[in-house]
Amino acid sequence: MGWDRFLVLWCAGWGVVALIGYGMSLAGVTKAQRTVRLTGRIERVRPPRHGGSRTGGISVVVTYRDPASGQQVTVTNDGERGEMITVAWEGREVGLSHPPGRPHSYRFSNTPQEPGRGLGRPSFALFLVYVGLVVLAALDWGWPCALIGFGGPWALMGAVHLPEAVRAKNRRIERLAAMDTVPGHVVAVLKDVGVDEDGDTWTTITPVVSFTTREGTAVTAHCTSNLPDPAGAYGRDVTVHHTPTDPADFTLDPAAEHRSQKRDVTFHVLMCVVLVATAVTGAALL
Amino acid sequence: MNSSTPTAYRPETRTATNLSLGFLTGAVIGASLTAFIGGCVVERTPLIATGLALPAAYGLLFLFLLATLPHRAREAAVVPRTALAAIESLEAFGGEASDVPVRFELSVAPDDTPAFRVEIRQDVNLVELPDYRRRGIVVVEYPPDRPWKTRILKRPTPEWEDRAALAQIDSVPGPAMKDETPEGCLSGLLTLLGLLLGVAAVLLLFRADLFDSHDAEGSAPRPSVTSSPSSSSSTITVTSATGTVALGPGRSMLDKGELREAVESLTQGADRRRALTVVVQNRLLTVVFSPTDLRTPGFDPRSLPYDRVPELVEEAGTTLGVGSPRSWQLTADGVSGSLRLTIVVTGGGGTGTVQTDGQGNVLRRSGS
Repeated sequence: MGWDRFLVLWCAGWGVVALIGYGMSLAGVTKAQRTVRLTGRIERVRPPRHGGSRTGGISVVVTYRDPASGQQVTVTNDGERGEMITVAWEGREVGLSHPPGRPHSYRFSNTPQEPGRGLGRPSFALFLVYVGLVVLAALDWGWPCALIGFGGPWALMGAVHLPEAVRAKNRRIERLAAMDTVPGHVVAVLKDVGVDEDGDTWTTITPVVSFTTREGTAVTAHCTSNLPDPAGAYGRDVTVHHTPTDPADFTLDPAAEHRSQKRDVTFHVLMCVVLVATAVTGAALL
Repeated sequence: MNSSTPTAYRPETRTATNLSLGFLTGAVIGASLTAFIGGCVVERTPLIATGLALPAAYGLLFLFLLATLPHRAREAAVVPRTALAAIESLEAFGGEASDVPVRFELSVAPDDTPAFRVEIRQDVNLVELPDYRRRGIVVVEYPPDRPWKTRILKRPTPEWEDRAALAQIDSVPGPAMKDETPEGCLSGLLTLLGLLLGVAAVLLLFRADLFDSHDAEGSAPRPSVTSSPSSSSSTITVTSATGTVALGPGRSMLDKGELREAVESLTQGADRRRALTVVVQNRLLTVVFSPTDLRTPGFDPRSLPYDRVPELVEEAGTTLGVGSPRSWQLTADGVSGSLRLTIVVTGGGGTGTVQTDGQGNVLRRSGS
């Protein structure tokens, strides 16, 4: 079987998978659409133990109202329970989801989630069709087609999303400027040591800061950036900057965040330029 | 609290399924690996394709869709039960990691079912390890149909935490059930047996392709693929690069239909291979095949004007006035791109040559 025929089969196969996926999404029968999504409330935050593990996130007790029975249900984030809760305070709303009819298989998300449409898998199948078509074009009309095929659409997508990225950066910078500043304290430094397949040891250090907002909300949060010498940070006093309406949006160094936002936009622009250059090179060589 | 009979919970029902799955998986691994490697060595596409498609199809269709997914769905549908348990013994196995594996022996005391004793292994963080001590009370969770999958809850709900702080649990006597398949050794042996049978099946099914080609590698002059004499008086030999047909005594390539039949016998099969050169003598046909590279020039050996060959041989002989031709040779050459046929007839009086195009139209005649 020639490469051409194989690629046509590849595209056709993934095309069928994508069509089935989109069809299921339209019919409302994807896993994401059937998932029951609820909003829970953190009732208790258990203090982290210094030297312990970050696995599982901050230990919390969450209650939610079961829509089927109308009863209040109490759960904890023990074991594999979806997203790791890394910022917690009593009264915080978190997302809870479970497959239909299986409330015991609940999973957490840091914020209440909108119901998904289950388009991830069909979109990935469509991406594989696109890759197949580009390779097919490269085989039939020469390899510069691959440069155009890969550079062009992504450059276009990057350019379309650039204004939104700039707006997001501006919004973030505005939020950084309007942040409340409160004193905080490193209440624990979590240390995870593991051994990889090659027998090498890896270590992850996760400082945990605690701070109280002006409204009196006591927040406990994993703080993995902008804290010098994290391994020796236990007991250190820090200054925490947080968005007044959402203490989960906090930082120890707004200036660094500011710089990082600018870097992100620069990187975005650079990527667009590289992709356009790739597509132009492909067109010139064709 | 009294114990129930722990053996009642033994995972015996899954034994047969696990054993047969292990056997089948071993067979598929053995067969696909043999097919793939064998196919690569003898350059047989069907074998390579079998080697790739078999594990993919088995993994996706059988293992995933028919075995794993329904099994997981059944397991996930079981509502786990929470209970208090007393630690009868514990043994930590050290390591460099911060989470160390710990073997627990627990007396589990559910509220509404008989207590049981279970042995489990669970990773515990070194910092939390002192929390677990002999006769300590912990909160556990287990699927009612698989109590050997008991798991200690490190973060129980406040209600269970309070109950654990006040509870007293009696030891459950008797052996502890474990999450160990007693058929461990048998399972391994069956998988190995499956693997060997898979290998044997492929070797047996494709023995002609595999072994004949292997012999060929040991002694270069022998062909990689040989078919037995197709008729009582001709021998066909096909290798990866060439094919020859030698006619028996009393037959000639100039006989009606003989040459075309000989070419057909070399080019039959799944892949119609292209040729670089075709050489025909009175009783011998040799075809040099193109390498399996798309860009290599070549021609379809069946497209030559074989019906015209006797006529062209005659012409090459008579043009030069060769009285009694002793030998002739036709050479079809497609290496240079355009196909040319050269017929050389050698006789007592010299040599006559006729050159034609791919359709047999005479381009040049010469003689000496």
